[in-house]
Amino acid sequence: MTAPATTSAIPRQITLPMSVAFEVVMQGIRIRFGRSVVTVTGVLFGIAFLMSIFTGIVLKQGLSSEEQLRIEVNRMISFLTAETGQPKGHVLGFIADGPLKPAEVKLLLALDAQGLDKLQVVAPTTVVLPVLSSTQVQRVSLDAVGMGVSGILWTGEKEPAGGWPSAFKNARQAVLALTRDGAKPEVVSDIHLVLLASALSDEQKIKEEAAAKRESFRNGWIITISLLVTVIGISNAMLMSVTERFREIGTMKCLGALSAFVRRMFLIESALMGLVGGILGCAVGFVFSVLVYMISYGFAPALHAMMAGLGSLVLFALASLVCSLILSTLAALYPANVASEMVPATALRSSI
Amino acid sequence: MTTPEDYYKLFFESEGEAERPCVIRAVDIKKIYRTSGQEVQALRGATLDVYKGEYLSIMGPSGSGKSTLFNAIGALVKPSSGKVYIDQVDIAQLDTNELAWLRCRKIGYIFQSYNLIQVMTCLENVMLPMSFAGIEAEAAREKAIKILGMVGLSHRVLHKPSSLSGGQQQRVAIARALANSPEIILADEPTANLDQHTGQEMIDLLDDLKRKLGVTIISATHDLKMLQKSDRILWIEDGRIVRMAKPSELDFSSKDFH
Repeated sequence: MTAPATTSAIPRQITLPMSVAFEVVMQGIRIRFGRSVVTVTGVLFGIAFLMSIFTGIVLKQGLSSEEQLRIEVNRMISFLTAETGQPKGHVLGFIADGPLKPAEVKLLLALDAQGLDKLQVVAPTTVVLPVLSSTQVQRVSLDAVGMGVSGILWTGEKEPAGGWPSAFKNARQAVLALTRDGAKPEVVSDIHLVLLASALSDEQKIKEEAAAKRESFRNGWIITISLLVTVIGISNAMLMSVTERFREIGTMKCLGALSAFVRRMFLIESALMGLVGGILGCAVGFVFSVLVYMISYGFAPALHAMMAGLGSLVLFALASLVCSLILSTLAALYPANVASEMVPATALRSSI
Repeated sequence: MTTPEDYYKLFFESEGEAERPCVIRAVDIKKIYRTSGQEVQALRGATLDVYKGEYLSIMGPSGSGKSTLFNAIGALVKPSSGKVYIDQVDIAQLDTNELAWLRCRKIGYIFQSYNLIQVMTCLENVMLPMSFAGIEAEAAREKAIKILGMVGLSHRVLHKPSSLSGGQQQRVAIARALANSPEIILADEPTANLDQHTGQEMIDLLDDLKRKLGVTIISATHDLKMLQKSDRILWIEDGRIVRMAKPSELDFSSKDFH
């Protein structure tokens, strides 16, 4: 008899399609449902926290832009009335050369509400004015504006073509209120120039920016910590799952499972739990955050802010979901490796 | 220096038994485990041939290296030195992928504690090695049902292992071991967790398989009834094979067996 051949006549084991691993995983999750629920809950809390912070950012932005608008309009009114007196029964001139800003629309509405008698409007027909309830709107030419008015509102940013209106010459002792920063006419005698648009002072700007930076840093830190805790939680749960199934994995290897198959099995299991936990977490975090804002700012403003930021909310939810998937897969890398590197002889140990 | 080939000549060609086809050949295998700086020599050079279609029992006290020998010839553990040939192929030359193929198609494993996958039904357990072998699901299902019928479990096909008795679970395990029609069945104390009666049934079943399908059966066991059915019995002590005998040459009433 010849000496045994040393060349290998053994074919390579085939790699199983994803669906087989998926099926085995689904059975595993079904049978160990309780433990899977606990793991999913861990993911849920982490992602819910992430999503609640994201939602908070969006809602806060929506609310604060409303709030800023309100403050701006109030300031404009008080500056204006300081020069012209209460608008009740008065006539005001209004010159616009382009679309109105939200603050200017609100300003007109507020003047209307305070009983302004008449508004002399000089504007291209393309400019949409808000519907006023009691104030009479009268379209006039640029030259005519200023007759008998207590003040003129100017919403332009540039010096008009053809120089500042000659009308100002008629407006003796009138008030010219500029709603925007930009070109200012040279001060003509007897005209009070009022600057309604007041940009924040540099100092204030720096302060606000610093506060925003501090908050985003703090948010980032909290999110990082909470996600780390989630990752460690998943990792721990998966490691437990691997230890629990030592014999099962060994048996599978004895039956011909490849290491790659075993690794894939655990990665799929973790990713699945991450997906479910991520979806639930997004929902919980979103609802929680919206409820908190509704309770503290009222139903309508919070809802309004939510609708305004819907696009970014959807993006944030998708980001959280992707984050959940990636983190849960990453967390399972080490446990999956432990499982795949196990020797098949483990299956023969009877006392585990 | 003595090469494994020399050992091979030394042990077998002189005995004239090399004529029979040999399924597994172990040549001077040694296994050293290193745990926390301590070296444990589990096998100190074991050489044996397992012939096609025979029923070989391995006996030995615990710590004798019995499990290590069993694992080594079953391609579950690579020896530290020496060679193991399965069907003339040196398993040391195989990569993990080829080893997986070998475990899947050539060898069927039966465990002391059955090791059924608890989350799967009996049918799925038997189908699992077939799906690892790439057999299409419908064909695998049909074959699995047939094999389960062969071991007398056609009425329990869709049960989970936890709802079966020990004997029934071991039958499922045997069916699973047979799934890919292996040439070799490795059974690690298959009757240890069973009562006398079911143990006997299991032995008869294995004996039947050997006769009808011509599979080679290697089992580690202390079960007298199993030993009596074996073609050869091998004793291992302190990492060495100390004795090889046929049941007819032995006195089963001696204290060695109790």
